[in-house]
Amino acid sequence: MGGVGAMTSSVADLDDLRATVRAWCRANIPAGWRAAQTGVPDEQYVAFQQEWFQQLRSAGYAVPHWPAEWGGGMSAAEQIVLYQELAAHDAPRLVLAFVSIHHAASTLLAAGTDEQRKRHLPAILDGEIWVQGFSEPEAGSDLASLRTTARAEGESFVVNGQKLWASGARYADWCLLLARTDPDAPKRRGISYFLMDMRTPGIDVRPIRNAVGESHFCEIFLNDVVIPAANLIGPRDAGWRVAQETLGAERGMTMLELAERLGNAGFRWLVEACSRPGPGGTRPIDDALVQDRLAALETEIVGLQALCRGLVERHDAGTVGPAEASIVKLYYSELLQRVMDFGVEIAGLAAHTQLTKAQSSGWESGAWVLDFIGSWEWTIPGGTSEIQRTIIGERGLGLPREPVAGG
Amino acid sequence: MNTELSDEAAEYGRTAQRAMESAGGDDLVQRAEREPDRRESLVGPVLAELGAWDLDPRGSADELEAAAALCRAAGWWALPYPVAERLARPVGGSAEGGWGPDGAGPDGAISMDGLIVVSAVGPAGPVAGLDRRWAAVGLDGRRFRAAPRPAAEPPRRSAFVTELDLEPLDGGPLDLEPLDGGPFAVKGTGGGRADAALGLVLSDWTLLGSLDRAIALTRAYVLEREQFGQPLARFQSVQFQLTDAEVERAGLEELAKYALWSIAIGLDEALDDALALRLAAIEAAETVFRVAHQLHGALGFCDEATLSWISRYSQPRRRLPVGRSATQDLLARSLGRRGLTGPFSEVWA
Repeated sequence: MGGVGAMTSSVADLDDLRATVRAWCRANIPAGWRAAQTGVPDEQYVAFQQEWFQQLRSAGYAVPHWPAEWGGGMSAAEQIVLYQELAAHDAPRLVLAFVSIHHAASTLLAAGTDEQRKRHLPAILDGEIWVQGFSEPEAGSDLASLRTTARAEGESFVVNGQKLWASGARYADWCLLLARTDPDAPKRRGISYFLMDMRTPGIDVRPIRNAVGESHFCEIFLNDVVIPAANLIGPRDAGWRVAQETLGAERGMTMLELAERLGNAGFRWLVEACSRPGPGGTRPIDDALVQDRLAALETEIVGLQALCRGLVERHDAGTVGPAEASIVKLYYSELLQRVMDFGVEIAGLAAHTQLTKAQSSGWESGAWVLDFIGSWEWTIPGGTSEIQRTIIGERGLGLPREPVAGG
Repeated sequence: MNTELSDEAAEYGRTAQRAMESAGGDDLVQRAEREPDRRESLVGPVLAELGAWDLDPRGSADELEAAAALCRAAGWWALPYPVAERLARPVGGSAEGGWGPDGAGPDGAISMDGLIVVSAVGPAGPVAGLDRRWAAVGLDGRRFRAAPRPAAEPPRRSAFVTELDLEPLDGGPLDLEPLDGGPFAVKGTGGGRADAALGLVLSDWTLLGSLDRAIALTRAYVLEREQFGQPLARFQSVQFQLTDAEVERAGLEELAKYALWSIAIGLDEALDDALALRLAAIEAAETVFRVAHQLHGALGFCDEATLSWISRYSQPRRRLPVGRSATQDLLARSLGRRGLTGPFSEVWA
């Protein structure tokens, strides 16, 4: 029970931790990494991410949210201190390992066998990269209608189908895969959850180019891919429930870091941008309207930080409500869009000439136009804002379920 | 007051939209992005065939309306060409003066191919790589000769926008300092306020065409895309988002007609009306594209989706010459406590 003891951390303990993290950041964050990571080929980005992950790992900062026995053990309060300092010192983000240390790890911890955990959790610490294979061309918001099939054959399953929007699939070693094992069951009951080795024959990954010219979205084509039955996670045909239970809360948990980044990096840069004299010689921050907007945004960010902290603490205590993660995701994604929108406005036309941003930076990088376009993405993946609102309405407020076609 | 486009102008717009479709439609912008040097030859023929350069938007209300309808059709396809800027080209020796003789060629005839409305700070326009002679007009009415710099970025990133070097035509030094204590000033002494109004309004008619398209694409997508066993369009939350976007677009259309009428009858405050239209266009574009992207999901950000192209190439029209805050500031300074005249001023005059 890593988090529980630490939840009682005294203020003095937190101050000590802050001083330690701060000293570590000063000594270890590579100077000039932004310039060095701008416009680099993919291999250099991957190598830099792996190197940075190992640096954080050796300090004990890579997976603070994991249980102590697996290498984590920080309380919510301690994680907040860590994330605040990393953001304030402009540390690179763990982009490549995001799915590995959050979604894969939480799935393994909550539903995996001992063997699966021992196989993968240490490997993730050694740099094993995971991708999520959930969405399909005909199964986006309506994920449960997915059509990829997994047919049992002896001690294995043979998988056929197509996955879409698998971010980072090109670099992935393993995939969290949802596939239909019982085509005759009601759609949520016939799905199983697999751990799929991306080196298995029959897997074809193709990048999709997006509006800012990047290709982190991928399609994964699966053609007679053989997965050993031992790589089933949770019971057969119970994949939908397992995914809901393990990932719903996890989606909220990942927000702790993102909220602190928004507060300690994104908002700070916004204030700096407002403090620079514009073309007319005046500073936006001296304008009462700008001050009002900044104050309103800061209020919202503080609210988000409080929501995230509450979510993590209630998750640790086992008292998290059914809609809390959705509230946090909805609030963060729309707030991020508002902050970036204002950043574009303040940065003005000059911002439109800054058309590259450093790989390994967060959703806020200071390249306001790219950050703004990137922020639009946030209200879509991991459950669109419409899906989050439906969850909040139905599970949080207990409102009637939306009528579904055909009853 | 009748702000409706004439039947002829509306029909001309429909003809233009069909002709652009025959010439390649959505493929035109994709080809131009791959081969930026060819963009003039890709779209030049169809525009010439439509008689685009025979239109004289400064000459008569009918031709002004036809020009607006043509810009709207260009916006529908994100046509990779500065149609609005070409149509707004200055006319030499006009009654207003100012474009000649400085803007005229050696034979005394005007020799500008187009007009770009610019901000005094960071002047730029979507005119990269075209072998044309450009005039520019500031939002304070000052006129310039504009020389586009070579494009610093490929069109994928720049949407054909390039920076301009300006040389004053109205005499006096090129003064890029702020006037009236603000970042910009509308009450300048330059004689080109009517030019600025025309340039802004034609650009906004182009943007209107892109919003028409974004709504049409999104409507078609939510009717076709099925999730939870039914088209997305059956969900009321989806319907409401699309209707909110359509209300914005429809409001913009009315304002665009009004601002065009204001130019056609030569109202003194045509530039104020153009700025008001501009502000409405920026705000409507934000709502419409936000909704269009949200309802398209991840697909909307990919090259496979037409929306992605329309959205990317709408950016210059939304950001240039100045963005929302600066437009708001300009409009507020220009109006002071006077307010807009508006279509029904006689009622309370």
